[in-house]
Amino acid sequence: MTPTTTPALEARDVARRFGRHWALAHLDLTVEPGESVLLAGPNGSGKTTFLRLAAGLYRATHGTLSVFGRDVRAERQTSRRFLSLVSHDAYLYPRLTALETVRVWARLLGRPARDADLMPLLDEVDLTAAGGQPVGGFSAGMRKRLTLLRSRLEGSRLVLLDEPFAALDVPGQKLVERWIAGFRRDGVAVVLASHSLEQAARLCDRAVVLHHGQKAWQGAAADVVSRFEEVTCRN
Amino acid sequence: MSQLTAPTLTSPARAEAGFLRVLAGQTVTVLRKDLLLEWRGRSRLLSVMLFGLVTLALFSFAVGPDSANLRAGASGFLVLALLLSSTLALSESFRLEHEQRAIEGLLLLPVDPTAIYYGKALGNTIFLCLLAPVLMWVAMVLYAVEFGALTLVKMLGLWVLAAAGLSAPGTLYAAMTSRLRSQDVLLPLLLFPLVIPVLLGSVKAMDLVMTGDPMSQLRSWSLMLLAFDVIYWSLCGVLFQHAIEDP
Repeated sequence: MTPTTTPALEARDVARRFGRHWALAHLDLTVEPGESVLLAGPNGSGKTTFLRLAAGLYRATHGTLSVFGRDVRAERQTSRRFLSLVSHDAYLYPRLTALETVRVWARLLGRPARDADLMPLLDEVDLTAAGGQPVGGFSAGMRKRLTLLRSRLEGSRLVLLDEPFAALDVPGQKLVERWIAGFRRDGVAVVLASHSLEQAARLCDRAVVLHHGQKAWQGAAADVVSRFEEVTCRN
Repeated sequence: MSQLTAPTLTSPARAEAGFLRVLAGQTVTVLRKDLLLEWRGRSRLLSVMLFGLVTLALFSFAVGPDSANLRAGASGFLVLALLLSSTLALSESFRLEHEQRAIEGLLLLPVDPTAIYYGKALGNTIFLCLLAPVLMWVAMVLYAVEFGALTLVKMLGLWVLAAAGLSAPGTLYAAMTSRLRSQDVLLPLLLFPLVIPVLLGSVKAMDLVMTGDPMSQLRSWSLMLLAFDVIYWSLCGVLFQHAIEDP
């Protein structure tokens, strides 16, 4: 197999404005296949906005974003085959059970959707016992586990994770860590936005710090913890 | 040269057939999901049905106890009850999608937005069709109209056409207005002018079914209704993607 030279994610001079407020400005970022990048920054620094732009949920006010060479807006359908977003939002229907939810995803993704195919997936996120319960009654952690399961089901080559450790108990956080390690082993590119710097830095190759919507620092993930305060206080 | 061409599907044709199969599968999945959600929240069907019944009763009170006038206006009252009930049903169908941003979850999957549209529009059409048996029966009682078996079948057929004609643009506008606080006002404001042809066609056709059709006009009105259904279902399917995307 010849190594691909197309970046998993390429953002060029990306900017996004909400009303008069620029949430993101002049951001360039390239993520190579198999690379894992930590996106750090204080609240309101533009991390979530960037991930939503990369997923094609927002339209960039300026600049271009492509996933494996496909423009996320012009070639939306194709680019979404390559990426998966785990967001703050659960994207769930409260009246559906966990099993029904996973079945809808599996059918839409063209994957086997029998109970026998889906129950092992629920087992992976420790939701087997809750498979028949409506997700409206789930705790935040259970909803997060279910949303994480979706990224597994999608089998994408680029995974965007927005605060994946939030709302999870310790076993849940360990599960996410194992999954991210698994993504890296399988050559899946990961962009991880998190406030849990030490935990996230252990899982990433590189870190980018955003501040006021701009790239304030980038370097080895191992250095981000020591540099974060300095970078965000300086600006 | 033509002998060299095998009489099988060519590559683009196969690709198109594959695309349509995937689109149909995704549409059915969205439809099944919507019907399941409707079943779980059956109170919505009940409340929309009650709203339709109250509307029919109000028309009856407004006209008074003149059975000739009631019969003359029965088709119009029936279609107006459907139209007014549809705005409640349509706006609610997208409210479910915005709880926990579920619609974004669908959009993040490699699902064709057209499939989401047709799945939801079909679900809305079925929902409005479920109102037919009750509203028609009440209309028969309130407006002193008598239906034979054949009349009832024709009326149900026209109801399906009217429901489809309201659901297609209604689903599109419900998607457009679903994020706005003023959706309850905006949806009827946008929808009502657009569905005037459906209103006219269905009222005239139902009137001909109920009061007789000496000039054989029923076919023309039904075809006009069907034509508008085809136009709405085609056009709105194309426009839906732009309606739900971030501007």
